[in-house]
Amino acid sequence: MFNKRWRALAGSLAPSAAVLAVAVLGLALDTYWQYVLAISISAAATGGALAMLVSYARCITIATGAMLAIGAYGAAIPVVLAGVPFGAALVFATALGALAGFILAIPGVRFRSHNLAMVTLVFQSVVIIVLRESKALTGGAEGIHVPPPVIFGISFADDAYFLLLCGLLCALAVLPIAILLAGPFGKNLRALASNENTARAFGINVRHHLIAAFTFSSALIAFAGAVSAPRFRIIDPDSYGVLTSIFTLAYPIIGGMGSIWGGILGGGVLRVLPELLRPLADYIELIFCVLVVGTLTFFPEGLASAFWTRRRRNRTATASPASAREWQAARIGGSVSEAETVTAAEDQASGRPMLELHDISKAFGALRAVNGVSLTVAPRSLHGLMGPNGAGKTTLFNIVSGFIPPDSGRVLISGISLDKVPIERRIGLGMSRTFQHAAVFRRLSCLDNVMIGLGRNSVLQGAIRSLAAALDTEEIRAERYAALLALEAVGLGARAQDPAGTLSLGDQRRLEIARAIVSRPRIILLDEPVSGVSAEEAQRLRELLIMINRELGITMVVIEHNIGFLVSLCQRISVMTEGHILAEGDAAAMVSDPRVRLAYFGEREAAE
Amino acid sequence: MIVVGGLKFGAIYSLAALGIVVIHKATRIVNFAHGAFVLAGAYATYGIVEGMGLGYWPAYLLVPVVTGLLAAAVELVILRPIRQSDMFALITSTIFIGIGLSEVYRLVQNTEMLGVPNPFPGRPIFIGDIIITKEQIWVFAGAILSSLIGLAIFGYARLGRGLRAMAANVRGAVLCGYSTDSMNALAWFLGGALAGLAGVFAAPSKGISPELSISMVTAGFVAAAIGGFDSLRGALFGGLILGLAETFAAAYVSSAMTNAISFLLLFMVLLWRPEGLFPEAKIRDV
Amino acid sequence: MILQTSGLRVASGPMIRVDGLDLSLAERGCLALLGPNGAGKTASVEAIAGLIPKAAGRVMFDGSDITSLDASKVVRRGLALVPQLRELFPNFSVEETLLAGSHAARGRPAIPFDMVYELFPRLAERRSQLAGSLSGGEQQMLAIGRALVTNPKAMLLDEPSAGLAIGIVRAFVDAVKRIRESGVAILLVEQNLEIAATLADDCIVLAAGRVVWRGSARDATSSEEIRQAYFA
Repeated sequence: MFNKRWRALAGSLAPSAAVLAVAVLGLALDTYWQYVLAISISAAATGGALAMLVSYARCITIATGAMLAIGAYGAAIPVVLAGVPFGAALVFATALGALAGFILAIPGVRFRSHNLAMVTLVFQSVVIIVLRESKALTGGAEGIHVPPPVIFGISFADDAYFLLLCGLLCALAVLPIAILLAGPFGKNLRALASNENTARAFGINVRHHLIAAFTFSSALIAFAGAVSAPRFRIIDPDSYGVLTSIFTLAYPIIGGMGSIWGGILGGGVLRVLPELLRPLADYIELIFCVLVVGTLTFFPEGLASAFWTRRRRNRTATASPASAREWQAARIGGSVSEAETVTAAEDQASGRPMLELHDISKAFGALRAVNGVSLTVAPRSLHGLMGPNGAGKTTLFNIVSGFIPPDSGRVLISGISLDKVPIERRIGLGMSRTFQHAAVFRRLSCLDNVMIGLGRNSVLQGAIRSLAAALDTEEIRAERYAALLALEAVGLGARAQDPAGTLSLGDQRRLEIARAIVSRPRIILLDEPVSGVSAEEAQRLRELLIMINRELGITMVVIEHNIGFLVSLCQRISVMTEGHILAEGDAAAMVSDPRVRLAYFGEREAAE
Repeated sequence: MIVVGGLKFGAIYSLAALGIVVIHKATRIVNFAHGAFVLAGAYATYGIVEGMGLGYWPAYLLVPVVTGLLAAAVELVILRPIRQSDMFALITSTIFIGIGLSEVYRLVQNTEMLGVPNPFPGRPIFIGDIIITKEQIWVFAGAILSSLIGLAIFGYARLGRGLRAMAANVRGAVLCGYSTDSMNALAWFLGGALAGLAGVFAAPSKGISPELSISMVTAGFVAAAIGGFDSLRGALFGGLILGLAETFAAAYVSSAMTNAISFLLLFMVLLWRPEGLFPEAKIRDV
Repeated sequence: MILQTSGLRVASGPMIRVDGLDLSLAERGCLALLGPNGAGKTASVEAIAGLIPKAAGRVMFDGSDITSLDASKVVRRGLALVPQLRELFPNFSVEETLLAGSHAARGRPAIPFDMVYELFPRLAERRSQLAGSLSGGEQQMLAIGRALVTNPKAMLLDEPSAGLAIGIVRAFVDAVKRIRESGVAILLVEQNLEIAATLADDCIVLAAGRVVWRGSARDATSSEEIRQAYFA
């Protein structure tokens, strides 16, 4: 309602409002403090940008100094050399920063961890070297003098005016980042940071998202550099060196990796700590290092989050599954898109198998993991896949869901070939899956997990939906409602806001099912859906799956070691052994088939 | 002549890179604090040579032990508790440990830059047109020899077997009675000792200042990357290649390129052959 | 009893893999641990060996409590594990692999490598060949050999015949018999009922982390209950 809409908007505006508030408060203080606060505010903006890269995407970047320099010089040089108005120079510098981030990211995000860190270090060093060497343009190592900003003829040389300008500009600049991070874009970043493969299975293109994260944050960092440069009066390459990059890394880590606030507070406070703690100035850098290592060791989520996690950890209640009638009612109210249910009906009418595997083979070196497997799965059916260890079931699953390319053979879903279709696009074709180890995104809430399941996760969609979330539009509310319904269908409605990591295993498996069904897929691949749960829970999960299959017409292919479960759930079962299909047919018949028994138990002949 | 100069620095880089690779192979951690260990070696050299006036020979023997212990202490006290965390936490920690250590040295020493004398002063040798100083020969030979000793220990000695087993398969190594705790500490000790030795060799010519820390970890990293990060021999050759590239760039292009060249090299390696020039054959364990 | 567990519980994250396992292995005896996939057999032996953490329970070996010891210490006490994935070192030669294994026997009487070469002549022919280039069967032999040179009093074998050709399986069955004859107690994890019955004195069947059948090997082969347990 009205309240909720304002709450969503307020959440996005809050960081900007805080920044502006600090600036306004500073007007009441003396010029020294106005100087300090102006620097603090631009550092807060830098921290906010780093929150995107470091806290959300968990990337190590040692290029922040270079980005600040690009912004600072990018605004200063046009003003000094060509008399460009400050406003235009600011826009130019920001665009330059975005471009720089983009250029850095394109080769950079091929790597993770230490190689990514080194690529950013390369970028950092090269930028500083270029700045130092281009004497004509940048004044070389001596730097250049930056005049105070002049906007529409008004000079902002005065400390108070500058503080206000700085506050306003930074508040505005932080807003888009805050909106992105609070909304689905930020959630997607967290998802890919916690589990890349699972994220990809739901349409999140990791490469695109990381490039976007670098681009957006570099733009904001450059902006902060450009805005703060006039305050320093003189800028030189050495103030934007490697040490700057490393110490800015501390902002989100010490401030808290849980949200943009950590980055903002971290930046705002840490940047001016040497000023505030004059007597300790010499030791400040050492203190930073100790704080960072200490935080990483004892509070991996940052100081602010440590407090929140403790409060949430204690809830372990298991919800009971919804009855068929409740689900029926939910379905009538809640389909996100009529088109999806129509497709399922279409599929059945056409008579085409839902899933076809033609002669799939995959070898790892000398090991033939899958050897000429052909399989068809009828629409709306429950199809099981079983076999002793090493039979190749998981490899086959990974081939079908796109995680491993087959050496030969074809996979078709509803007649459409999946050849060369990357993982991220399979959800768009109606394929969804669960994972053996209950791969939920532990730090995201159950609702967020399921919303990711909707599959509307390209960078553009993520950004638009983030804006929609801030404005609390009808669209986003419909999405949230669909997600909530899916949760209620599996019995987790009450836990919608709880972090997925606090759920019991059985509930995590339910969450996975909710996430898999919310996009109304044609087919779901379930990888050991009851592994590790109690017999009672397995029974309840079985009833849930049967209900979903019946009510939504979703085809299911299930791998399970629990043969009793498989037989009670599935209509047909394929038995694999040593890479090929040994037998296939009606579930009960498979279990008493002598060939199957041979594969599992090895009758006397096999041992001799 | 440029070649000689390049080989000399290259040999120092090889030592540094070797230490990084030893630690990475055995513990999977990329030690961004490595430069700080090199710097510790350089400072310790100053302490022994100038501070205590003992001359160079004790330095070559004692410094590796000191830095090795320092590295092992870092592993034991700081890294062990977070060993279970993800790579992000581990790498970021080593970055800040490195900076923190450099800061500690700076505060203790109270000056920015220190110097130690040339261990082999005296007339240079003339071979035709080429002028080679005794110091250059000594550093090159000494550093390469140390690297080879390090390689030998890792590759052939009983001590090294446990480390190699850990590098190949942690679970398998544990089932042979090698404890991960001891092996990790040993790997860091060895890596730290190599770093310290690099510091002793580097101190006279590169000067002792916090700058050394960053330049050595970068050079070590680039050399290791050229070699393929998991290959000790690769680190050796990578260092030499880097040293040569740097001095050639400085002579023929400009001195600013000295720094840039290492990054360009790294960039090229990462883009075209991320597995390095000497990839360790990864044979599948079926 | 050389090896005893009581109330062994193993969990990985929220998943409970083994829920209260009690077993006893007699000195020089042979116990088979059977069950379908995912039953917790591998988790059980890996926890006993100290390779993965235990959520609860106690493990007694050779008179002392080894519950809190990690695998490197357990093997040095004389309890060796041959894991399901063998976990060999691809770039170590056969000889060097045995050298690595003998590290666990430091301070105790050494096992001459010839004993291993006699048991597996194919390994003798390939002394300096790298482990990564051996065939599946040869790798399994090496893995067992590596465990043997740790001078164990008891060995945990996790599905030693998995993925091996029929002809080689027979050789393995013989090898395990000979190892047993030399005085080493064996805890054998197997999916194949027949192999288990040939080698073991007693059998325990696990399903979904719990014991569902216990008895002698002879009873196991004739028991329809066991087959039910697999398919239940």
